Amino acid sequence: MENKRLERLLEEVQKPARYIGGEMNAVQKDWASVRSRFAFCFPDTYDIGMSHLGMKILYYLINGREDALCERVFMPGADMADRMREEGIPLFGLESRHALHEFDIVGFTLQYEMSYTNILEMLSLGRIEIFAKDRPEAAPLVVAGGPCAFNPEPLAPFIDAFMIGDGEDVMHELITVIRDGREQGLSRKDILRRLAGLEGVYVPALYDVSYHPDGTLKSFAPNDPAAPKTVRKRVVRDLSAAVYPESIPVPYTEIVHDRMVLEIMRGCTRGCRFCQAGMLYRPVRERSMERLLELADKLQQSTGYEEMSLSSLSSGDFTCLPELISALMERYREKRVSVSLPSMRIDNIVKQSLEETQQVKKSGLTLAPEAGTQRLRDVINKGVTEEDLIRSVTDAFECGWSSVKLYFMMGLPTETDEDLQGIGHLAKKVVDAYYALPKEKRSKAGVKVTASASVFVPKPFTPFQWAAQDTIAQVHEKQARLRQYLKIKCVNFNWHESELSMLEACISRGDRRMGGVIYAAWKRGCRLDSWMEHFRYEKWLSAFEDCRLTPDFYAYRERPYDELLPWQFIDAGVSQEYLKKENEKAKRGETTRDCRRGCNGCGLQGWGVCGWVKNPPLKDTDKSSAPLFD
Amino acid sequence: MKMIVVFEKGPRLRHIGHLDLMRAMQRALRRSGLPLCYSQGFNPHILLSFAAPLSVGMPGKREIMEVPIARDMAAEAFMDRLSAALPPDLPCLEVRPVDDRHPAPMALLSAAAYEAKMETVPEALPEAMGRFLAQKEIPALRKTKTGLKPCDLRPMIHELTLTGDTLSMTLALCEKATCKPELLLSSLFEFAALPRPRALITRTRLLGLRNGALCPLETL
Repeated sequence: MENKRLERLLEEVQKPARYIGGEMNAVQKDWASVRSRFAFCFPDTYDIGMSHLGMKILYYLINGREDALCERVFMPGADMADRMREEGIPLFGLESRHALHEFDIVGFTLQYEMSYTNILEMLSLGRIEIFAKDRPEAAPLVVAGGPCAFNPEPLAPFIDAFMIGDGEDVMHELITVIRDGREQGLSRKDILRRLAGLEGVYVPALYDVSYHPDGTLKSFAPNDPAAPKTVRKRVVRDLSAAVYPESIPVPYTEIVHDRMVLEIMRGCTRGCRFCQAGMLYRPVRERSMERLLELADKLQQSTGYEEMSLSSLSSGDFTCLPELISALMERYREKRVSVSLPSMRIDNIVKQSLEETQQVKKSGLTLAPEAGTQRLRDVINKGVTEEDLIRSVTDAFECGWSSVKLYFMMGLPTETDEDLQGIGHLAKKVVDAYYALPKEKRSKAGVKVTASASVFVPKPFTPFQWAAQDTIAQVHEKQARLRQYLKIKCVNFNWHESELSMLEACISRGDRRMGGVIYAAWKRGCRLDSWMEHFRYEKWLSAFEDCRLTPDFYAYRERPYDELLPWQFIDAGVSQEYLKKENEKAKRGETTRDCRRGCNGCGLQGWGVCGWVKNPPLKDTDKSSAPLFD
Repeated sequence: MKMIVVFEKGPRLRHIGHLDLMRAMQRALRRSGLPLCYSQGFNPHILLSFAAPLSVGMPGKREIMEVPIARDMAAEAFMDRLSAALPPDLPCLEVRPVDDRHPAPMALLSAAAYEAKMETVPEALPEAMGRFLAQKEIPALRKTKTGLKPCDLRPMIHELTLTGDTLSMTLALCEKATCKPELLLSSLFEFAALPRPRALITRTRLLGLRNGALCPLETL
């Protein structure tokens, strides 16, 4: 690429540091000397994408191969995207500045449904045909993975192959199959057939779909003997043996999470019924203490980061959390590296660790009770009581915290006005807990409680996958009520855009026809939808009309159990029967125990994969509380 | 003991702001494992100070920072370990150990040399430069925190020459008087009534005074 034109462009756009590459630990390989060139595409801007752990793992993993290189590609800001089009500069990999269409494999990570128009924009800017069927033989293979790939159908028209489940193993197999297929001169179609033979790979072109007159799915079946009827998710068995980055690119410019991340555990056993990640990432797997400390040292030495965060869906459940934190604090005291816990619970076990954390740096305190009353928390199986919450914040206030964020959802199944009022009561009780402490024990800063209420979005592979979402009108009305209930001294109320949540609901449970809507929305100019300044709701509504579809059908409709769901051909481990059972229990307000305390028969028990906990197992006598921190 | 470090901020990094550069240096120093000094307080940070922030958009050929160290060591050993920890576009060029009482580079700074590489050079430029420099006073408007302020550029220009497509400038850069190269260029082309060509400006050296004469800051 002509660097001079790009250099000139960088003088004109906002945040040019997003586009320069060359960071410490960025891997610069010789383009001509490898057999596979992989463009890892994150469909959002650099500051968001560089904070994402999955990208760091796969970047390290692919570049660890001698025969392959991996470069990073991010969605440019709107100003940069426009100027690149005007100047005829194609979207490029940050490392070598090769255009996207010059890579052998272009891989997108799917973290959020409302980033899908960015995928089309990036393909277009990278000069790759938007529709998979239009791609010539020589075009890169466009693949995708990540949590949203568990319902791949809305992106089926654009993606050649999806990887379902943990990416570590399947990525190697995919690269090798494509590399060999290319070198043997196989056609695109034949390479895709081979890919379909890999466990965890879904090739949409090899499946046909038909619909009933009412718009529901009638049939979904392979049209090629190479394609399996069911696509089974991939699972990394031993997290301690799995590849994990020992060095990660250190950005020059500030990003959302600018620190080292140690993934201590994958999966969660709590079984919250709204939580898709909790179902998708089963079973729970811990990294061994030994491996974690080894990784921490290597990461610290290679990055020079001053902060380390522990990551998992529920870090408080990590069997040796206090020991791990103590060991990390001890190691890095002299180097002034702080340790923060983004996702945890505070109880007596952790309190001591918190006191240590505070010695170095105090990170924000975020709690997620999710619902305002015990009844509704039981419905969603969020095993948290008001006492847990108040004890946790009291502990935190005693440790010097003064501002607390509380996350709630509105529009959960069976929600009543009492539940909304409960959100107000809970926020008030948190403020009271602060003032209940003697003056000398609490922070001088004064208490600040921020209550955020997002709109519940029913997701595939959760017990609520059949549920209807609240309408936008209902949400607006509830938000107005919540504003009243949260008029409390020292409490701030934040709410989310209901239009965005409605579209997220449409896409997350969408079928293949939703691809047409995404395309029409992009054609009408939608991109960067998760950025409020770029979100154009009316254009999305027009896109539905273009395709003769309605958002109501996807978002507001409760599905009967016997309806064929667009994602049903994927085996995520958790069985449909279990999800139905859980949904029925939810309606009755019955809770389900944490599966570490006994198998609930979710479906994974047959996989021979549960109980790979490397660290000492949880004792049955330990009555620790639920994760409040997300 | 303190180390005076001369480093380059490569062209690729010219869009990185000063705060980002400081953070990158702090992280490089952490990677190096060198015996560093930390600030006191709740969020301790590595002690280091730069001679002069570089404007966004401008590469620097020989930038200077000062790093206090907790334990005496040889300059070569310091440089080896720092070099190993620096990204490719931020190489360490020279290291000089000085006493703790040595004045900070910022306090010794007096001027800087720049090169402006122009995309096109108007034919009339050399002649106009002669007339420009012959002026007793060069009134201009300088951007300050409180708005535009009138100033005289002439005493702040130590040198201004043209070689091929490159304008070399040595301009005052200290607390009392600073002339930014951008301001000089716009003033020159306005005076010459010539269209201003695009130019990539690089700061090539930082300078201090020895016996009234300018010399490289790192040698003071």
